[in-house]
Parts: sequence; structure tokens; C-alpha cells
Amino acid sequence: MLKNYFQIACKVYMRRKLFTAINLLCIVLTMVVLLVVTAILQATFFPTGVEGRSERFLQIGTITQVSKNKTWRSPLGYKVIDQYLRKMKTVEKVAAVTGPESVSVYQKDSVNEIMMRRADAEYWQILDFKLLSGRVPTEEDVKQGRFVAVVNESTAKKIFGSAAVVGQKINTGGQQFEIIGVVEDVIHMNAFADIWVPVTTFPSSQYREQYTGNFNAMLMGKSAADLPLIRDELLQVVKQINADQPTHWDETYMWADSKLDFFARGILSHDKLADSGSAQLLAGVVFFMLLFMLLPALNLVNLNSGRIMERAAEIGVRKAFGASNRELVKQFVIENILLCLFGALVGLIFTKLTLIWLSNAELIPYLKVDLSFAVFSYGFVIAIVFGVLSGVIPAWKMSRLDPVLALKGAA
Amino acid sequence: MIKLENVSKTYQTDKVETLALRDINLHVKKGEFVSIMGPSGCGKSTLLNLIGLLDRPGKGKIAVDGAEMKVWRDKELASMRNRTFGFIFQSFHLINDLRVIDNVELPLLYRSCSAKERRRLAEEALARVGLSARMDHYPNQLSGGQQQRVAIARAMVGRPSVLLADEPTGNLDSQMGAEVMDILLKLSHEGTTVVMVTHDERQAKQGGRIVRVFDGQLVA
Repeated sequence: MLKNYFQIACKVYMRRKLFTAINLLCIVLTMVVLLVVTAILQATFFPTGVEGRSERFLQIGTITQVSKNKTWRSPLGYKVIDQYLRKMKTVEKVAAVTGPESVSVYQKDSVNEIMMRRADAEYWQILDFKLLSGRVPTEEDVKQGRFVAVVNESTAKKIFGSAAVVGQKINTGGQQFEIIGVVEDVIHMNAFADIWVPVTTFPSSQYREQYTGNFNAMLMGKSAADLPLIRDELLQVVKQINADQPTHWDETYMWADSKLDFFARGILSHDKLADSGSAQLLAGVVFFMLLFMLLPALNLVNLNSGRIMERAAEIGVRKAFGASNRELVKQFVIENILLCLFGALVGLIFTKLTLIWLSNAELIPYLKVDLSFAVFSYGFVIAIVFGVLSGVIPAWKMSRLDPVLALKGAA
Repeated sequence: MIKLENVSKTYQTDKVETLALRDINLHVKKGEFVSIMGPSGCGKSTLLNLIGLLDRPGKGKIAVDGAEMKVWRDKELASMRNRTFGFIFQSFHLINDLRVIDNVELPLLYRSCSAKERRRLAEEALARVGLSARMDHYPNQLSGGQQQRVAIARAMVGRPSVLLADEPTGNLDSQMGAEVMDILLKLSHEGTTVVMVTHDERQAKQGGRIVRVFDGQLVA
């Protein structure tokens, strides 16, 4: 049966080449946009590259404190991480890292603005940076407050050109750091920066006493199964923090989130809710994708209706020989899906080219997104959804044709 | 085999109501060869479409194989058409995008039948109409007579009990028409019920019983 549908689909599509080309263009453009977005989302939220262990860790980005008249939302202070989170029993490692901050680097006669993070030693153990030369800071470096730095590849090239970078000195904010390592450029949420220095190199030790500040925490379990336990334990820890703070707050909220949860909570401001809203966000993304598919799908519906009506006599013959309405709908939807799958294949090629262009054009710093098996699978699913969306209405209309009129070709 | 009782059919257009058939009573017995004759526009094809369950009557009853059609649901109608009837049309209605063999297999797609079995039955049907050598051709590579023979092979491949032929020789020259008639007569002799609409008195007489329609009514 499928072979029969396939043969017919190929013949029909080849018979009207211009029409098929317009259909394909419609599908390919839709697929490229959706697949590029999907590839970026996949690279952002799935365990890949430097955040390859992200299925094992959670992050805490903000602490929200509430009193009668005031709600205070801020990144964490180092004290919260060092005094409370590090003592949690369910975690294997806890990392503290500041959010990326713009700093000026004075080198010879030039000034460069780069993004800096200050991190502890665990940060380098949780994230999986690809080291290009030298080494990353050790526990001893952090403990001793050594002025050492790791830079990424682009920064190394920008500041030092082609010279060997490890061992060079770099000056920023009145401090001088010795570069001990160079890592590959990364854009990931927890990793993005141009330079990393130990957290203990802060000019003042005041940060150690702060409940709020500019820190993010990363809590890694032994396995993904530990994450619910970490979340549960965190609820008790938060109560303790609320009780210990010198300023009185009625409530304190702090959530350990996966990358998607973290992103959703930020967008939807679910600061006081355990539910990050990621399900709503995903539903929104799916709705947006369907909406994006709707316009080209409507165009295809229109084109398909014309194509199907041209085949009225065939429909009449099939009905006469026992095709039910349902079987005819199935046939025409499958034909449309076949076209969409072909479009998806062409779309994947163009998506690959677009991703290469996006990576090279540096529109988004350090963006490196490639097609993966998952994106390929999403493409397959998107093509089928698109095929059904644009095929089912004309197919249903066609299946309702009166067989006698259809045989006369008078649909 | 097929029984029509007081069947009427009316076509309704915007303002005009046209009575196509009025109080038709017809009984076609198993194995019979019935020819329906009458002037153009008298309702012959409408009658054939009603018999083949392609159309539904405005009034009256239709019974096939002793079972009265009461529920005109698409799924049941499709299944009944597939199992009971084989259609032969004046303009062949072959699907030009499919090879001859695939055209003949068409009715078998809508029943439980393996690809191998479909192929075997289609080859057998084509052999019976003398077109084994043409199975990989496309319909537009065949003559009119050959195309109608393919259409007959398609109509009989599912071994239906009734063949419904709407002017099967209407688009053919006399020699090709005779060849097609020979095949239909042979099928009839083997026990298949044949109902044929024709304008050709001679062919109608070859079949046996003649039913005449005039202004939507059966006449003696």
C-alpha cells in the first residue's frame, strides 16, 4: 500500500514541477528556521560540551527574600554557598562562581573589555572545559588566593596575538594575574566568560560575609537520581538561612534548578514557586512553533486543495473499488508527509549550512551549534507534524467527494 | 442477487428538482447478464450507480445478496463495493500515474491481502485478458482496447460477484468492442453476474436479458 502511495506521490509531484518546487520551498524555509531554533535550544538546555554533566547538577541563581513591604531578589552571596550549601549531605560537589562581569584589560597600549568570572576550584571539576594549553586552577591556587587566570582562546588571540599565552601577565582592575591555562570558547549558561580567576582574589574579603551578592551556585550529585534529594534538602537549608540572617525577612526562597528550570524561572518570575514554569515555557515554545508552521501550512493547504481536486477522477475510482473516506485521507496525508520529509531532508542540509554561517559570523559570541541526532529526530517529527497540519484538511475535503461526481471529474 | 424495490432518485440543483429515476423495480439474479438500454439521459447510468452503491436512492429499497441496505455508512459501503462489485467505465478511468499491474492491484489494496498475493492475483487477471506482456507499461502507452481490458482485469481481480459495466465498448472501435464483449460473456458464463449499460442492441442481445429505461422508468 505504501509503495503504491509513494509511486503516486512521486508521479504527481514530478508532473507539476513548479508547484512542487513552491511547496518544497515553503517546507524548507519553515524547517530551516525551526531546526536552527531547535539546535540552539538543544545546545543550550541539553547536557552538551562544557556542561556535559548537566544532568547531574542543579544551579541556584537567585535568592528571594520577602517581608511585609519588600521583596528583594538578588544573586547569591558567597556566605550562602560556603556556609550552608557546601554542608549539604546530598551533594557531591558545590561550586561558587560569579556571574560574568565586564572588566577592562590593559595590555601594552590597548584596552579591551572582556567578561570575567571568579570561581572556586570545584567549578573546574563540575564543568568540563576543553583545555587547549596549561592547566586550570587547583584547590591550592584558590586556597592560597593566587593571582592566576584562565582565558579562552579568543581572548588569548585578541590580547596576545599568536604568542604563547601561558605564563603571560594580564592586568585588570588594578590586579595582575598570571595566565596558567587557555580553554576553548564556550557560550553555555554557567561557563560563558573570557577570563576566570580564583574567587579568593577579590580585593576585599567582605564577600565572605554576604548573603546576597553576585554568585551562582552549582550543586552536583553523584547521579541524576540525587537531584530530587538535593532539592528536598535545600528546602531545609533555606529555612535555616532565613532564620540566621541578621536582617529579618518573613520568607526566603531559593530553588535548585536544571538549566531549563533556571531559564523558565527567570522569564516567568516564579521566584516564590517551587514550580519553575518550565512546562508552561515548553508549551509556549511548542505553541510558537506550531504558530510559525501555521502560515506556511495554510499556504500548503491551499496548494494541496487544488492538487487534490485535480485528482477527482482517481478519487472516484478508488471509492468505487472500496476505498473508504478514512483510507483516502490516510493516502493523501501520507503523500503530503512524504513531500514534507523530503523537504525536511533538504531543510537539514540548509540548516547545517546556516549553523556553520552562524558560528562563523560571530553574531552571537562563541556560538557553536551543530546538527545532532536529536535535532535530526526533531526535524523528522516537525516534518510529520507539518505534513499532517497541511495535509489533513484538503485530504478530508477530498474524501468527502461524491464518488459519482468525482468519476465525472466534476469535483 | 440484487433487488431494487420502488427506487426513485431525484437530483436537486439550485432551483430545479430533476427526477432521474421513478419507482424502479428490478431483480437481477445470480449469474445473469443484464443489459440496460435506453436513450441518452434516461437514467441508465444513475441506475447502474445505485446498483453499485455509488449513489443512494431518494426512495425505495436496495438489497444486495439478500441483505437490504439500511445504513449507508461510508465504511460499510466501501467494504460492500470492494467485496461485491467490479466497475468498468466507458472512459476506462485507469490511473495514468500507475503501471498496469498497479492499476489492477488497486481493489486489493482495500482488503486484507499481502503484497505477494496481490501481485499473483493481478498477474492472473492480466493473463486472462491477454495482457501479461504489458503489466509494466503505463496506461497511456496502451491502445483504447487494451486499456479497457486492463480495466476489466482490475474489475475482476478481487473476484467480485457482480460486474457493473457502463458502456464498456462506447469508446472502442467494433473489433476492440467485440474483444471486450467476449471477455464479459466469458466471465458471465463462469458465473459472474454482469449488469451492463449499452446503446448497442446487438451487444445487449448477446448478453441475454435486456432492461429498457425511458424517462427514468423501466419499460417493457
